[in-house]
Amino acid sequence: MLKTMLALAKMQFNQYNIYKSNFYLWTLNRIIEVIVYIFVWQAIYNQTGDAGGFTINQLVTYYILTVSIRPIALFSINSDIAYSIRNGKINKELLNPISYFQYCFGVNLGEMAFALVIGIATFVICSVFWTIILPANLTSFILFLIVIMLGIPLTFFIEVIVGTVGFYSSSIWGMEILKDAIISIFSGIIAPIALFPMWFQKIANILPFKDLIYTPINIWLGQVPTNEIIFVILKQLIWTIILYVIAKIFFNYSIKKITINGG
Amino acid sequence: MAMIKVENLVKTYQVIQKESGLFGYFKNLVKPKYKEFDAVKGINFSIEEGELVGYIGENGAGKSTTIKMLTGLLTPTSGEVIVNNLKPYKSRIENNKNIGAVFGQKTQLWWDLPVIESFRLIKKMYKIPEGEYRKNLKKFTEILELDELLEKQVKNLSLGQKMRCEIAAAFLHNPKIVYLDEPTIGLDVFVKENIRKFIKEINKEKNVTVILTTHDLKDIEDVCDRIILLDKGQIIYDGSKQKFKDTYGKYVIAEFTVKDKNLNINDNIRIDEIEILEETENQLKLKFKHEETTIVKVMEQISNYCKIEDIHMKEAELEDILKEIYKGAHKC
Ligand SMILES: Nc1ncnc2c1ncn2[C@@H]1O[C@H](COP(=O)(O)OP(=O)(O)OP(=O)(O)O)[C@@H](O)[C@H]1O
Ligand SMILES: [Mg+2]
Repeated sequence: MLKTMLALAKMQFNQYNIYKSNFYLWTLNRIIEVIVYIFVWQAIYNQTGDAGGFTINQLVTYYILTVSIRPIALFSINSDIAYSIRNGKINKELLNPISYFQYCFGVNLGEMAFALVIGIATFVICSVFWTIILPANLTSFILFLIVIMLGIPLTFFIEVIVGTVGFYSSSIWGMEILKDAIISIFSGIIAPIALFPMWFQKIANILPFKDLIYTPINIWLGQVPTNEIIFVILKQLIWTIILYVIAKIFFNYSIKKITINGG
Repeated sequence: MAMIKVENLVKTYQVIQKESGLFGYFKNLVKPKYKEFDAVKGINFSIEEGELVGYIGENGAGKSTTIKMLTGLLTPTSGEVIVNNLKPYKSRIENNKNIGAVFGQKTQLWWDLPVIESFRLIKKMYKIPEGEYRKNLKKFTEILELDELLEKQVKNLSLGQKMRCEIAAAFLHNPKIVYLDEPTIGLDVFVKENIRKFIKEINKEKNVTVILTTHDLKDIEDVCDRIILLDKGQIIYDGSKQKFKDTYGKYVIAEFTVKDKNLNINDNIRIDEIEILEETENQLKLKFKHEETTIVKVMEQISNYCKIEDIHMKEAELEDILKEIYKGAHKC
């Protein structure tokens, strides 16, 4: 089963990789984003001499890392699922000898792998132009990686839930935008959570999104005590299970509906 | 033990009734009104391993609906489907391991990648042993002439090339049953022949059961031994192709080229055994039954009205017979 999923991931990876221009353009795109973020923050910093307790170096590192690992939170196969439902391609995919869920997860891993390569490229190129704070020690780097990896299934289940809406509506465009907006704000992609008001931070602490981007970066920066990381991981696992159950139930229910009423 | 067993199979679709006007729109949002539509109305058949079955019928007869139930993509409204001892709508994934399917023009190949990559993925997904995979690939490449296609990106293939690859993909894992829903739609004669040859050969070699729906009756003529004819959700014929022809097609179609016609024959000739299908100034197409009259008598009759220059006769083909049946079915 794992082999099949890796094979699927490889297919999806190659599908992107066919177009080398994909790779260059996306990387360039990321770098431009980094530049914009950094300029804005430098301006704020120069004016006020403060940015929520972060040093300018920390902020630079924060945004370079955010842009590099952002695909974990946002890169999406929900539109693939919805598209597949709309044009009936799903009928062929449902005839695979593995479950559609596993099929999607395999494909999703391929997307992630591709995004990861771009992320690494972005990071390496940016490190030439800016001083990036490196992880305090090997442990925090490994913990950073673990927390990121745990985010992959979490995002996948969110994606499935949004994609499944495609069974009910011919356009999930609105849903997608909403999802992206919520994740961008609550994961810290737009700005570090610490800069937001207290009530917002409280909500962000409960939701799973923060641990996709904000928490791992803070682990990298050495701002999360190791004993707290245990709780982060625990929280991630609990959310993963909750989202898995919701995704599975919603998806299976919807599949049943189409197998009762046709595509 | 039959490979496929279908008993009193019914599929009723729920169609949302659209109501007009703004009020109707909101009423629909809150409590949609459904209308029922019976696409398949209690059909029965059983298919043995290795049979080549042509599943035919007019547009909207319910062929695809049946195939979807056989593959587990649709749950029957009532009745039972058993495929290779499984209920596909309950154990779809288990059932998927035994079947291959091609649905018209919907591709299962990966659009941006070379064809061979999709084949390799199939190999991994179905866990096809290396040796078996190579053997099949070699054989399929030979019959379907895939040599130059395998390294090409799927999106660059022509329709016919894509379909050949698609068919190969459906048979690659040695499925017990293959469903082909209009596999020859839009293809040229040569590709069609190629595909027919492939189906026949693989069936002979591996004893794979094939269910084929098509609107090109040459496919059936060439490939299938058995016909199941569906009309508005009901089976109106199920049996061997030969018997089908014998039962419904014991007539001859004769085409005359005539000259010096002095009368409109259609209006004047009154012989019960002859039916005139087409008449123009110098063409005459008619139909008569072997048992009731002979060509000599027919010619005698016609020559009263014109001079016969040429005759062309043929046995009724499936297409002629089907036209007849449909015409009959629509009358009543
Ligand atoms: N999802 C659906 N909801 C409502 N009605 C449907 C649905 N799918 C099919 N039908 C109707 O059921 C009938 C049978 O359709 P089906 O696709 O099985 O026909 P078919 O024999 O495959 O025709 P064709 O030769 O055109 O492919 C048609 O009248 C069709 O309009
Ligand atoms: Mg059809």
